[in-house]
Formats: sequence, structure tokens, C-alpha cells
Amino acid sequence: MRRLRQFLSRKLNWVALALVGIFLGLALAAPILSPPVDSENPADFQIHEGWVELVPQPPSEEAPLGTVIYHRSSIGGVYLLHFDVFHSFVWGTRSVLRFGLITALSAAILGTVIGAISGYIGGPFNAIVMRLTDAFLAFPVIAGVWLFRIIMEMANVTLYDYSNLDVMPVPQTAFQRVVLALDIDPVMLTLIVFSWVAYARLMSVSIVKLKQMEFAEAAKSLGMRSSRMITRHLIPNAIGPIIVLVSRDLGGMVILQAAFAFIGVSGTVDSTAIPEWSRMLILGRDWIIGPGGDPFTFWWTYLPVTVALILFGIGWNLLGDGLNVFLSPWEATRRGRSR
Amino acid sequence: MALFKFILRRLFLAVVMFLVITAALYGIMMLAPAEARAMMYMPSGGRGNDVNLIKTIIREHGLDDPYPVQYVRWLLSLVQGDWGWSPTLSEEVLAALVKRTPVTIELTLYSVLLFIPIGLISGVVAGWKRGRPIDHGLRLVAFIGTSIPPFIMGLILLAIFYVGLHWFMPGRISISNELDIRSDAFRTITGLLTVDGLLNSRPDITVDALRHLALPVFSLSLAHWATLMRVTRTAIIEELDKEYVTAAWGRGLPYALAVWRHALRNAMVPALNSSALSAAALVTGVFVVEIVFSLPGVSKPLTQPALAGAFFFAPDVAAMMGFAVYGMFMVLPLMVILDFLQAVIDPRIREGVLS
Repeated sequence: MRRLRQFLSRKLNWVALALVGIFLGLALAAPILSPPVDSENPADFQIHEGWVELVPQPPSEEAPLGTVIYHRSSIGGVYLLHFDVFHSFVWGTRSVLRFGLITALSAAILGTVIGAISGYIGGPFNAIVMRLTDAFLAFPVIAGVWLFRIIMEMANVTLYDYSNLDVMPVPQTAFQRVVLALDIDPVMLTLIVFSWVAYARLMSVSIVKLKQMEFAEAAKSLGMRSSRMITRHLIPNAIGPIIVLVSRDLGGMVILQAAFAFIGVSGTVDSTAIPEWSRMLILGRDWIIGPGGDPFTFWWTYLPVTVALILFGIGWNLLGDGLNVFLSPWEATRRGRSR
Repeated sequence: MALFKFILRRLFLAVVMFLVITAALYGIMMLAPAEARAMMYMPSGGRGNDVNLIKTIIREHGLDDPYPVQYVRWLLSLVQGDWGWSPTLSEEVLAALVKRTPVTIELTLYSVLLFIPIGLISGVVAGWKRGRPIDHGLRLVAFIGTSIPPFIMGLILLAIFYVGLHWFMPGRISISNELDIRSDAFRTITGLLTVDGLLNSRPDITVDALRHLALPVFSLSLAHWATLMRVTRTAIIEELDKEYVTAAWGRGLPYALAVWRHALRNAMVPALNSSALSAAALVTGVFVVEIVFSLPGVSKPLTQPALAGAFFFAPDVAAMMGFAVYGMFMVLPLMVILDFLQAVIDPRIREGVLS
């Protein structure tokens, strides 16, 4: 309780809670704030049918944050589409939260399990696992995104034999079937594969320390099984830093995802793998500079999403900082002393 | 001697890391069926729907062989300089990457040379003057630096300094100078335009290249500077609380000297270590920034739209694998250099007392 009060007494923590709360609220209230056309099957984007203006439209009754336009080329010509910014903004909150939660939690669970087991076994085994994590740390994630995107593309390869108008059967591996069935997003997969290492290292270091403590020795001498020991005593005692890292990663991963989508590594604007906010960023990029170099002529095309992305990152980061003090008593007392 | 041994050990570890990662990469590639991977050896003009051709390719390149055999074969061809042919770039992958290297090197080098010294110095100042206005100011800037992602920072900078003020531009060099560089009178010596400009006694080209580099270097450095500053600040605060600083001060050494000569030396080790661990993030940042500022660096094939032929669609596997290997060739030396610096500073590390 005392620590909770301490947590709530810092003003920055309130800022963090407010920011995170706003995004959670937006995500929950999305169907009310911006009712989808098809409520059974809500889409993240909404297109204003029949709008033909050649520039993004300013905020109005039908489009509370205006629209941004997209020239979509397909068979039969180029279509001009007006995307509703407000709808994408609100529903995009859902998709980024979902992405951040799934990615950060999967990486955390994977890393915690591997780190805990490796740390508990210790010795040369732990040393080898830590060397492996070193190797993962030396790999630029952006190349990983490309790798997994190509794997997805190859999973979709079907070869047509036009000589007899038949489809050449390309055998699908089990992995590909899983990928296609779950509709896995390459960026998400990459971020999970390359960020569990931080959790594993944290966990392993804590477990190596904890397992030598008296309570652990006592539990062991009483004949407690290793699996129970790890799950009931060691992991709960070492989970603090992991939770902090999850909170920081949640913001960080969403920003990385947006960055990759923005520069075009995760696919084209048409692709469903592109999160809504990033689609707005890509489409809004061409309108940052209005006529005469005025950056505010079409402010609604890029400003809301940019600001939201920055605040999203800040919110989760601050929450992580706050939790860090909250969850580690040592940190709390040290701060208490120095202030 | 110990230092030499330390370097050898680090280099050996780097090679092991390289092998582990490439083995993993190739293993992931192997998850796709041989028919799909055959696309990577498709001769130009070959039709992707040609079933017999695909079967021939699988047989010729042994795509049905067990994983270790294929991996070793791929590794050998990598060592021999055969990195494959990229259909989207219509170029040999290795040649394409080497050709674009100077741009990437310039960006990376200047960023690292900028943010590491500045990060260390500002971290020391912030830690030394903790609680004072300069500390709060630096921490606020660092907070902004870490909060605004580099690609958004890039857009903001372009909007202000390119569109608004016309001070700096995207791209690598102005068009008027581009022609001069392509001409025979301009000798390419290092490939780095900033250096070649001086060597060719054309300082205007150096200035022009620097003007184009200013924004990307700044937006890349900012986030990494912020992290480095925070780590240095924490480390220096810890060091300044130790008794040797008090003792040095007590013996009559000026406090500033105790900070800069003694505490900084000890604080540099964790600071450089954090930079070494984020070397991969730095390289990812380099590629993102290159694309945002349309620098023609090695990240070019990343965003090149894959050629969607009339009949089939070929994932550009060779370019991807080449790019991944190239990325590691950037990260690993950076890590080794930063580890080397730590060992130079701290004898305990090179003696292996601290790992």
C-alpha cells in the first residue's frame, strides 16, 4: 500500500496513467466514437463513397478529422479514395494496442521461460544460451522484417503450368500452413523473434542470483521439485524488471512497427499488414507541405496520428519508469534517500 | 599482451555470432519449400511457371539436400563473393551493396563520431551538476530525443529546414555537383564524398555533401545520444559517490579534475557497453534514416517494389540474404570496436576479471 501511495504521489506517473488510459479508452469506445458501416464486421478504415475532390477534405460533420486521399491503381484505372482520418485514428488505437500487447507479451513470455530455465540450470549451459542471445543482439531487426516478409511471400507462391492450365502443386510445409492459418504479420513475428533475448538475459541474471539465496536453498532442501521452484518462487521474485520492460517495449514496438510500415519495408499501402496509423502517416506525408510551404494547410492529414504515435510511446515509457520505482524496493529506498 | 589476447577472443566470438545468426537465417529460409526457393536461382528471362526449369534448378543447386549441406554450400559461395543475383535490382547482390556502401558508411561514421563523444561529455556534465538547471535541461532534451522516433524527427526536420528555410536538402548531393562527380576530372578515391571533395581540392563538394548529411546524421544521433547520455549520467553519479573521488578531492585535486580524469574513465565502461549492445539498433536506424532522407545507400533494395511479373512473383531472396549478412558486417565490427575501447580503458576487462 505504501508503495502504491508512493507510485501515485509522483506527478509523472499520473501523466503516464492518463496517456495510457486515454488510448485504452479510445480503443474501447471505438464503436461508439466512430460507428463502422458494417457493425458485424468492422473495418479499421472507412472510405467516403462518392467524394471526388482532388485534395484532402477539411474536418466537417461527416468526417470529424477530415479525410486523406489515396490514388489506388487497379485494373480499369486509378481510383481516388477518401479515407476518414478520425475513423482510422480511433480504430487504429485498437490495432496498435493489440499489436503492442501481443508482441511484447509473447516476447516476454518466451524470454522469461528460456531465461528462467537457463538460469536455473546455470553453469556452461547458461553460458551457451547467453552467447546465443548475444548473437541475436548483433542482428539488425530491419533485415529480419524483410526475411519474414519473404517467407510469407514464398508461402503464397503457387506455380501455374500454362501448358495444360493446371496448378503445379507446391507442397506446403507445416510452418507455412501455420503462418497462413494464423495470418501472422511479418513485423510482429520479427519483433517477437528478436526481442525475447532482452527478457531472457534479465531473467537469467536474476535467477542465478536468486537461486543461491537462503529461501531457495531452504525450499530445495525440503525437496521441492525444480519446476515448482521456478514457477512458484524464482519467477515471481524476478518478474519486476520484466514487467517494466514489457511496458517500455509496448510503446517501442508500436513505434518500430510504424517506422517499418512508413518506410515501406512491411509492404505497400494496399497491404493489410500495414497498421492503420502507419497508413495515415504514409498517405499524409505528401500533404505536410501545403501550398506556399505552409505546413498547416492540411494539418489533419498528418498531425493527429503523428502526435498520437509520439504520445503513445511517451505514455508507455513513463509508465515503465514509474513501475520501475514501484516494483523494485531497492530503487525506491535509494531514491527516497537521495531526495 | 592481454589486450591482444582480448581482441583475438572478441574477434573469435564475433565469427561465432556470425555463424550462429547465418545458420538461423538459412534455417528459417529452409522452412519454405524447394519449389519456392528455386526462384532465387531463376535465370533472367526464365519463366517462373516453367515446371521443368524449376525441377532442373532444384536438382542443379541441390535444394532438396539436407539443411547442413545446403547451409555450408551457401556459406562457401558467400565467402567466394557469389552473393547471388537480385531480380528487383537486376544486379549482382554483392556488387550492388558494395557500390552503395560509401553512402551508408558516411552516415554511420559521422553519427557515431558525433553522438559518442557528445553523449559522454553531456552525461558527465549532467551527472556532475545533478539537480541543477543544466541537468534538467539535458534530461529534457534527452527525453524529447527518445520520445520522437527518428523517422518522425526526420519528417519534422525536413519540413523545417528543407521546405521552410532551404538550409539542408534530402538526397546525397546537389544535382549541379552530381554532374561534376560523374565527370572524369573528379577522381573517386575513398568513395566518401566529404573526403573526396577535399582530396580533389573541391571543398565546395565537401560542404555540399555535409549539408546533405546534416539532417540524417542529426536525427540518427539524437536518439542514441539521449540513451548514451542517460547511462553515462547514472554511471557518473554512482562513481562520484565513491570514496576515491572524495579522497582525490580531499588531497587537494580540483573537483573538476577528479570528475573528468578519474570518474569519467570508470563511467565510460558501462556507457560504451550500452552502446555496444545497441549497435544493431543503430544499424537499423541507419537504414530507416537513409530511406526517410532518400540517401542512395545499401537500404535501397529494401523498399524497391518487387517485380510483379505477368505470370509470377519472385521474392528477392538473394538480395534479402545479402542485406542481412551486410547488416551483420556493420554491427559486429562496431561491437568489437566498442568492446576494444572498453578494454583499453579498463584493465580488469582485458584481464578477464570482469567479463
